[in-house]
Amino acid sequence: MDWTKVFLSILLLPLVAALVNMLFLRRNGTTAALVSITAAFFSMVLAMIALFKCTERYSVSFPWLSLGDFQASMGIYYNPMTATMLFVVTFVGFLIHVFSVGYMSDDPAKGRFFTGLSIFMFSMLGIVLADNLIMMFVFWELVGFSSYMLIAHYWNTEEARSACKKAFIMNRIGDFGMLLGIAWTYWHYKTVNLQALEVFSSQPGFVIHGGIALLLICGFIGKSAQFPLHTWLPDAMAGPTPVSALIHAATMVAAGIYFLCRIFCILDAQTLEVIVWLGSGMVVYAGICAFAQTDIKKILAYSTLSQLGYMAAAVGLGFPGLALFHTTTHAFFKALLFLGSGSVIHACHHEQDIFKMGGLFKKMPLTTALFAIGTIALCGVMFTSGYFSKDAIIEVAYFKNTPVFILLILGAFLTAGYMGRLFYVAFLGSPKSQNSEHAHESGFFMLVSLVVLAGMSLIGGYTQGWAPFARQLVSGELDTVHHQIVSLQAEGLFSVLGILPWAIGFAIALLFYGIGAKKDALQNHLPSVYSFVNQKLWFDEIYGFYVRNVQQRFADILNFCDVVLVGGLLVRGTAGLVGVVGMMARSLHVGNIHIYVYWFLAGLIIYWSFAMGYF
Amino acid sequence: MVVGRNPVNGAMFMILSLVGVAGLFVLLNAFFLAVLQILVYAGAVMVLFLFIVMLLDVDVVSKRSPGNLTIAAGTVSVFLLGLGFVALLDRPQMLPEPTLLAPERLPSLETPMAFVTGIQAYGYSLFTKYMLPFQMTGLLLLVAMIGIIVLSKRFENKSV
Amino acid sequence: MTLHSVILVAGILFITGFLGVLLRRNTLIVLMSVELMLNAVNLAFVGFSRYNNTMDGAVFVFFIITVAAAEVAVGLAILVALFRRRQTVMLDTINQLKD
Repeated sequence: MDWTKVFLSILLLPLVAALVNMLFLRRNGTTAALVSITAAFFSMVLAMIALFKCTERYSVSFPWLSLGDFQASMGIYYNPMTATMLFVVTFVGFLIHVFSVGYMSDDPAKGRFFTGLSIFMFSMLGIVLADNLIMMFVFWELVGFSSYMLIAHYWNTEEARSACKKAFIMNRIGDFGMLLGIAWTYWHYKTVNLQALEVFSSQPGFVIHGGIALLLICGFIGKSAQFPLHTWLPDAMAGPTPVSALIHAATMVAAGIYFLCRIFCILDAQTLEVIVWLGSGMVVYAGICAFAQTDIKKILAYSTLSQLGYMAAAVGLGFPGLALFHTTTHAFFKALLFLGSGSVIHACHHEQDIFKMGGLFKKMPLTTALFAIGTIALCGVMFTSGYFSKDAIIEVAYFKNTPVFILLILGAFLTAGYMGRLFYVAFLGSPKSQNSEHAHESGFFMLVSLVVLAGMSLIGGYTQGWAPFARQLVSGELDTVHHQIVSLQAEGLFSVLGILPWAIGFAIALLFYGIGAKKDALQNHLPSVYSFVNQKLWFDEIYGFYVRNVQQRFADILNFCDVVLVGGLLVRGTAGLVGVVGMMARSLHVGNIHIYVYWFLAGLIIYWSFAMGYF
Repeated sequence: MVVGRNPVNGAMFMILSLVGVAGLFVLLNAFFLAVLQILVYAGAVMVLFLFIVMLLDVDVVSKRSPGNLTIAAGTVSVFLLGLGFVALLDRPQMLPEPTLLAPERLPSLETPMAFVTGIQAYGYSLFTKYMLPFQMTGLLLLVAMIGIIVLSKRFENKSV
Repeated sequence: MTLHSVILVAGILFITGFLGVLLRRNTLIVLMSVELMLNAVNLAFVGFSRYNNTMDGAVFVFFIITVAAAEVAVGLAILVALFRRRQTVMLDTINQLKD
């Protein structure tokens, strides 16, 4: 089989779908959905074929730009990481496409929405397949653009408008550092090709340059919404729920983690240390913030932040395989949770406040059951997928870095706490508003994707069942972790630790919030704590202050230059000049054709006298 | 053509002069251009003219005497032309009529004449030296075609 | 045939066309006169081309013929559109462009 063609098809099918939708099907939403789903489906099938059949590393490269000595190429680098991510992105992406058919059924702008989804799939797959940093950056920006486009789907609401801008600008800040890092990489290592860098770094005497690594991880911080650029992710929930599921939970934020794993070979020890602390800090910080949220999607957004912290911590501890393992399982159960919440929101007529839901388990039993599966997978309950991946990371932290270990355990406890709160309040008890009373079970398209995702959330963690090529990614690292634990004789500890955090978390949430609470117990009993948590450490306020007082001044100066120099002198000046010339030319236009003939004759005489040498 | 009042007569004289120019082309050994002249001008262009003349059915209007300025302009132009002729005839013949190049080999029974005529020379120039003008001509024809379609389309919302 | 005679004929044809443009008021005749001027130029081109023994002038005539054909087609289309609107093709009544 010609793998180049296969990978190119995986990459280009969504692009073709997007183009077809954009050019021909803007008003025909149903057909557009069909086109996008077909493309996503075939991408998924091809990715599966590659996963099982393409069992060795594969790379191919095409020249793209050549400026003197500098050569930028477009290429594909396929390794176990790529295989896993290709499968995850296409699989989850396809299911979300299917879900969207149900969720967006009464939306007037379906064509635009599915165009956006397809462009997003294309750009994300580009990141996954890219064989060099420049190509990765190109698709990185495309992902940013498509997320901007999709968050702004409900562009007529103020919230979506500001959220899309915020997401884009926050990403730009990180991308700026990443771009500098790429330029520095090229300058320092004379190549940006990932495979070449891997070969390079395995040679003896190779010194990793810390500055490059620090600049490159700026891109990760922006895209994966890590501290201090994390504020965009919760706001990005203003987009349609399938978008939140696809972009801000399952795949886009995973791009940051994937990027870290791809460039793992040129990350130095100090940078890894930074990543560990960023990650584990985020685990706890996001976990606390989630308690103050009442919007079901925002709670899930904060849990995404916290799970991303786990992945970052795994990379920082030197186990990129485990990070991708958690990315994979997280993609399944987070997509399930988001789509489940989408199903709930759809059923409750776009009510997102959990304290106005309640009693949903009677109205929509299947969704409730599936949401429960997602919850236990997220909290890492025994034998679900989250248990395997999350506990592996916690075990790594145990023998590598004790403070991080404590933070991660605390994070697991918090996760169970806020997820318990969400589940008890929104699904159990009795209905608390008109909307939730009239809730009904969702349609076929939505349920079928939920069921598949729930299945994957349960079994996705059993790496024995993975394709052999993809398993290479995690098996080695899992074995290492296992041996370490055995040699430290900590199996007993971990069989307890695998249960305690979530058990305590669920129990405390149940005791504190009770079933089907009408009001937030934390707000009632401890208003000061609640308001403190609700401030999210004043990040938005600090950014607001900075933008108002520093950036705005600078922008004013620039604006002045623009108005006076560019606007006044260049634009008005040019226009004025053209206007004068036009007025002069108009006076020649007298409307009588004979006059034009006279002008012609005059020109002839001038020409003639010139030719005769009279001038 | 210029003095007559009836446009149809004018067009007929026009055809006559075009055919005459074609004859001159023949005398100058430009056979292909002569054929082109007859086909495009006398054939297509003038038929189009006649067609429009008859379609519009313009009345023969009384000839109005042209304005002073026009007469002056006409005089000046005739004067210029005369000046040109004087300059032309004033100097000796600078360019003798060059002999045409003989074909490289004369056709015979053994070597029948290959399909080489003057046209090949045009084609060669058109597709090498004048490639860009040639393409632009194609574009111009396309623009003209579209323009005519737009012009001859009636727009309902405008009053005629 | 000498170059002189060719240019003489071309000049006469040109001035005829020019006077036609200048003196006639019927737009159709004016257009025809423009064609005649173009043809005079063609003739001069071919003459010079022949006596310089190069191909360029003759090839250029080819382009002029093409342009002339396109010009006539567009010009006549404009004329028909004009006639539909104003019921006249006389030049001195067509002076709306002035304003």
